[in-house]
Amino acid sequence: CSDFLDTEPITQLTDGNYYSSPEDMETALVGCYSGLQLLYSSGGVAVPVAAEVMSDNCFGGVAHSDGFNYQVIDEFSLDVSPGEVNIFDANWVAFYKVIYRTNVLLSKIDDIDWTGNEAQRNSIESQARFIRAYCYFDMARLWERVPLLTEPTTGYVPQSDAVDIYSQITEDLLFAAENGSETVTAGRITKWAAKAYLARVYLFYSGYYGETELPGNNGNVNAALALQGLEDVIASGSYDLVSDFKNLWPAASTMPNEAGDGLETTYAGKDNIETVFSIKYNITSIYGDSERDPDGNHWLVMLGLREQSFSPYGRGWGACTVLPSLYNAYADGDTRRDASIIAISQEGLDFDNSNQREYTGYTNKKYTPISNPDGSDPAVANGGTDFQIGQYQDYVAVRYADVLLMAAELGAATAQDYLDAVRTRAGLTSVPATENNIRRERRLEFAFEGIRYWDLLRYGIDEAANAVNVSMTVQNGGEDATKTISGDNLRATRGLQMIPQNQITRVDGKYDQNAGWQ
Amino acid sequence: QSQVVKGTVSSSTDGEALPGVTVLLKGSTTGTVTDLDGNFSLNLKEDVSDPILVFSFIGYVSQEISVGSRSVLDVSLEEDVTALEEVVVVGYGVQQKKLVTGATGQVKGDKLTALSTTDALSAMQGQVAGVNISSTSGQPGEGLKINIRGVGTIHNTGPLYIVDGVQTGDISYLNNSDIASIDVLKDAASAAIYGSQAANGVVLITTKTGSAGKAQWTFDSYYGIQQPTRQISMLDAQEYATIMNEAAINSGNLPYFTQDSIAQMGAGTDWVDQMIYDNAVMQNYALGVSGGSEKSTYSMSAGYTGQEGIVGGPDVSDYERFSFRLNSEHKFWNDVVTVGQHLTFSYMKKNGISVGNQYNNSFRGAFGVSPFLPMYDDAGNYLNNTANAGVMYQGQEWQPWNPGENNPYASMMLNNQNDNRNQKALGDFYVQIEPVKGLKLRSRFAYDYYAEQRRSYRPVYDLSIYAFRTNDEATQNMSQGLALTLDNTLSYDMEFGDHSLTALVGTYMWVNKGLWMSTSNADLTVSDLEHAYINNATNTDLTRLNYQGAPNNDQKLQSYFGRLSYDFRDKYLLNATLRADGSSKFSEDNRWGYFPSVSAGWVLSKESFWDGIGNTVSFFKLRASWGQVGNQNIDDFQYLSPVVINKSNYYFGSAGYDASGNAVGAYVSRLSNNNIKWETSEQIDVGFDAYLIDGKMEINFDYYQKNTYDWLVDAPGFATEGADAPVINGGNVLNEGYELALSYNDRVGDDFNYWISAVGSYNQNEVTEVPTDDGIVHGLKNMLFDNSPEFYRRAESGYPIGYFWGQETLGVFQTEEEVLSHTSATESGTVVIQPDAKPGDLKFVDRNGDGIINDADKTMIGDPNPDFTFSLSLGFDYKGFDFSVLGYGVAGNQIVQSYRNHNAYANYTKATLGRWHGEGTSNSIPRVTQTNENLRIVSDYYIQDGDFFRINNLTLGYDFKNLIQTENIGKLRIYATVQNAFTFTKYDGMDPEIGYGVENGSSGIDLGFYPRARTYMLGLNMNF
Repeated sequence: CSDFLDTEPITQLTDGNYYSSPEDMETALVGCYSGLQLLYSSGGVAVPVAAEVMSDNCFGGVAHSDGFNYQVIDEFSLDVSPGEVNIFDANWVAFYKVIYRTNVLLSKIDDIDWTGNEAQRNSIESQARFIRAYCYFDMARLWERVPLLTEPTTGYVPQSDAVDIYSQITEDLLFAAENGSETVTAGRITKWAAKAYLARVYLFYSGYYGETELPGNNGNVNAALALQGLEDVIASGSYDLVSDFKNLWPAASTMPNEAGDGLETTYAGKDNIETVFSIKYNITSIYGDSERDPDGNHWLVMLGLREQSFSPYGRGWGACTVLPSLYNAYADGDTRRDASIIAISQEGLDFDNSNQREYTGYTNKKYTPISNPDGSDPAVANGGTDFQIGQYQDYVAVRYADVLLMAAELGAATAQDYLDAVRTRAGLTSVPATENNIRRERRLEFAFEGIRYWDLLRYGIDEAANAVNVSMTVQNGGEDATKTISGDNLRATRGLQMIPQNQITRVDGKYDQNAGWQ
Repeated sequence: QSQVVKGTVSSSTDGEALPGVTVLLKGSTTGTVTDLDGNFSLNLKEDVSDPILVFSFIGYVSQEISVGSRSVLDVSLEEDVTALEEVVVVGYGVQQKKLVTGATGQVKGDKLTALSTTDALSAMQGQVAGVNISSTSGQPGEGLKINIRGVGTIHNTGPLYIVDGVQTGDISYLNNSDIASIDVLKDAASAAIYGSQAANGVVLITTKTGSAGKAQWTFDSYYGIQQPTRQISMLDAQEYATIMNEAAINSGNLPYFTQDSIAQMGAGTDWVDQMIYDNAVMQNYALGVSGGSEKSTYSMSAGYTGQEGIVGGPDVSDYERFSFRLNSEHKFWNDVVTVGQHLTFSYMKKNGISVGNQYNNSFRGAFGVSPFLPMYDDAGNYLNNTANAGVMYQGQEWQPWNPGENNPYASMMLNNQNDNRNQKALGDFYVQIEPVKGLKLRSRFAYDYYAEQRRSYRPVYDLSIYAFRTNDEATQNMSQGLALTLDNTLSYDMEFGDHSLTALVGTYMWVNKGLWMSTSNADLTVSDLEHAYINNATNTDLTRLNYQGAPNNDQKLQSYFGRLSYDFRDKYLLNATLRADGSSKFSEDNRWGYFPSVSAGWVLSKESFWDGIGNTVSFFKLRASWGQVGNQNIDDFQYLSPVVINKSNYYFGSAGYDASGNAVGAYVSRLSNNNIKWETSEQIDVGFDAYLIDGKMEINFDYYQKNTYDWLVDAPGFATEGADAPVINGGNVLNEGYELALSYNDRVGDDFNYWISAVGSYNQNEVTEVPTDDGIVHGLKNMLFDNSPEFYRRAESGYPIGYFWGQETLGVFQTEEEVLSHTSATESGTVVIQPDAKPGDLKFVDRNGDGIINDADKTMIGDPNPDFTFSLSLGFDYKGFDFSVLGYGVAGNQIVQSYRNHNAYANYTKATLGRWHGEGTSNSIPRVTQTNENLRIVSDYYIQDGDFFRINNLTLGYDFKNLIQTENIGKLRIYATVQNAFTFTKYDGMDPEIGYGVENGSSGIDLGFYPRARTYMLGLNMNF
């Protein structure tokens, strides 16, 4: 009579009855992509936001009465708030969730018969491995030594050395660069994205660690190979620069219409010709299920003007106030300045900074919510649950302009053309494609895109430390205050962030905390 | 002159005629005895001016009745319940109380009815030692937290409920008037016959049945008015402005208000007062009739109970129950075959405001919002606190003081428009065959059916930039389920010489199936709750349309069990049980579990050496028991790895937003563990039952040790595992305690009866092992206030379950010197522990002496589990008057209280007026600041003692039967009751009885607790 007790879940799949067809694998791959949203939207601090706070572009900001986690990130020190030892804990967890999804897929991919569908198989593997490499690259830059897993693993896994992590990143990206799809489809990872990302990894690793090759693949990923990948992307003809820089960014290209009852925009749109790889968002996030359904861009709201909207700029929580030095670094006539930065008083915004911390008069315009003329949030007005989680602006991780500038930096024969193309679009004249000029161009071109800080680090710890070192007057809650960041803190931490204390506790202290954070 | 008096004598218990009753004319030798039908006839020859008849019968209380001029005198005698002859309900049977060897407690239905509560569990509070009942909310119809002999698990601690032999999850569908008795099986030996579901104890409810004799009618009703007991006072506008100024100055900013402008402020809005609804009604009406013949008996009833809520009032917080019951039993073929049934059908309407965690707690809103915010604008609408929105208030455009806040009353009234209707039918059909005396074969088919309909309506509104709704919404949910039971038992009673033995074997099968669906859509044709049906919704936009439906997972149990009960001359008693349970909750390899128990009793008072003591202690029984029981109360299919398919979408399209365009993804969300099995609770119990002073005093005492191990724990895995960790078995919690119940009843003179009873229990709870790597099952964060850290530990070795975890404080720094002298001697020299502190800040204890205050210094700052629970009740009756009072209390527990999210503008309670604002002004309440640095740290500042003693019930009644001498009315009692009359406590919240916890294993968390009301009521009990 033991059959009586047999039951099975009717509306729930299990790993015993799933992963059995190419269709299942495609769905599992979507699960990996969905994990990309999880990385920056399930708590903690989104890495692109943190990178701007760590860089010389932004201060931490946020509300005058908020906790000081953004300041801990900004100042590379727990001194400002000794309790903030788990700032990136949710990120750590999210990274490994996504890595687990990719590892499960990769471990099951050869359990099914792909005869006749080998290209589909390789495309799926390429995308999954790119996503895994994307995670490890974020983690290795943020914390350096993290546990490396390439298959589902239970139990304690020790930290790995950077060389092993980068070796795996290299192998994964090389596979995707060789086997990924050549056809550009919105949102999908292509071989071009993998080639571009491999160059970014190469530049960071070679700069930060002073090596000439990436580890892995017998050490034959060098500057020439990285450059060749970029030239392949350029030669593919799949990408181009959007003609007007401001049209890359919703807030910069949108304004209230004449009637004052709606918005009009010249935004080039998601997946425009310049997008090489982006993490995509939609308005469909649901509260209460946010861990599992972070469809929306949950971090965009951090960057909005503190609690106040001035259409087209939407309200948010006031993180990442912009240093005036960045605003002033743009040359006259550089159209990127006003497309990148909201200059609060110059634009005539009646902003009340009495609840703002580290107010500088400037905030970013590239990643900020927009608002309808009546103050309502477009996401909510169109069915989003809440403006805090319903934001839908994609995070463009790699733009074609970066492909051009990286190629120029890696010594492309047509480096001058590449640099000129970027400057021409910004309304500027040509300058020689020297290392310094390319560096300066990168800061102005990619401000607030989560790139600057990693560039600083790869230029050298000292370069980065000097860049972030600052002491200036800001306003906290409307009152003057001195904001100081010591470059020595960056030196002491080698520019890395703290491994979440929870994770170290979790393994009985078996992970080594990064220097400067013990 | 002679007078003939005739009449019938019957038992008041069941109405049956009593043969052999002696009827005697008082002060004479004249008398007679009732015949087989209970009839008597007596000729009063003597010329007695005021003849009085004395009716006496063994086992019944003698009665004297003045004859007057009557010639017919029907008398009903009350049973003389020497408690020893009482029977108590045990699993699959009944047992004489004197033969019970386990630890059980019984409460009679009339005692529950007398307390006039809407549900039985509320009336059970304090009645049985070791049964700990606390409310999780004062909202009508909200569940109670019940644990028996301490918290033994971090899962649901609720016991197994068995109503007339049918297991069910909830007994709130029953009217107290329908309950004959509630028996609680506390020790493992008593409960083990219920096997894998009995680890939290078993509560057996018996509903009323009929007995042969004249029909007995009962009518019980009450009507009452509820009021809040005490309110929290928040700062009024002037006080608030003063505190805001002080916080600004303390944070280095300019004050907001001048003294002049403060002086011109009124009191502002008292939000707590706005939320409270006075004079909420509570009422109950129950009509029943029972009776029958020797062959056929019946008992039926109909009842209505209603209770309005005191927060928000009946529009948003209301409970109503309509119940119907029919129980009957019929005997055939010389009583060889007995057939019977039970059926209770209840229809419950329940609407309620959110009473959950800080994000789902309508009442909490009243504590944070500033008194500056008005209730209504000039147009009489709820004031919209959005800047520049054209809202007019007192003739001027409204500009918010704090744009982040909104009208909490409006939010409660707008967002809690629900209509919930539940139906439940529970009953059985049974056949018993007794072919030879003592051998009984009983088969039963039982059902527990529920159907639930729920509608809700959300209007369009604008209360602030954060509190708004752009489209109205109607939601319709429906669910239903049916649990079927089939059980068979075979029992045999035999006696040989001085030995008597009862053997019972049985089988049990249970299956529970159900399904649910839910739909919501927007843009109603007529926008209100009455029209909130899906067919009235016109929206076609997918983001505002939601539809779901699924079956519940089937749950199944299959069991075999047996029991042997033996006694020798009612002196040496022995019981042994064994149950084998198979459960669908576990994988095929781990389905079956075996739950043994043994218990023994020794009635010392039957031994010859007791003779000397016998006059004082007429009965004394020692008991001891051991047993194992299980808990399988976990979600289904925890042993499998689920693939989540609908929660991992990704949008590959290029539209700005496209709610319908997401691609569906899948991932494995949890690791599998094929090895999980039930929790096991092993318990020993030693106790005694005694009767003293001619049975007037009863004492029950128990000592127990309950060890619950192999918990089902969601042990956090390593983050690197990438998926939720599987449920594992492990962990161990020990509950150890004593229980004592004392009762005494006596009579003074002929008319004054009084009784007093005291129940007390002591329990210590300690986790002895936790299987996770860090030895802790962590509590949730962000639950005490926004961004709050972990403040309780669900379980940690060496500590009680759910203890409060935080920093210890040493008061408040009074001076700068005190800050500098608060040091630790570390390896690198003497270190000032809080160098950034200012006078007025909390002084924290550097427990590990490293010179820094961080998590390593946190420790146990409170325990939500009471050490003692106790109750005291007493009462008397005198010539038709009755009076009773019941008090209940707990001691040794703590409460964590937080009404405030720590932004710069949230209001404070009036306690804040006693804050530190200069040397010597306070050593307990820190200074106020805009950044709330003292409050963001969870410390013992948040902890208060939760001890209380409350007068639960005060009742005064009078039975008018004494005035109107009519034979048709057995009772006509009118009474007045005050419930929740007085509470003695040092706790400064609205209600110290806080069973609420944000998840299983946590309790005593006051986030803005819906308080229980004080109720003034009048009631009527009639028997006829």
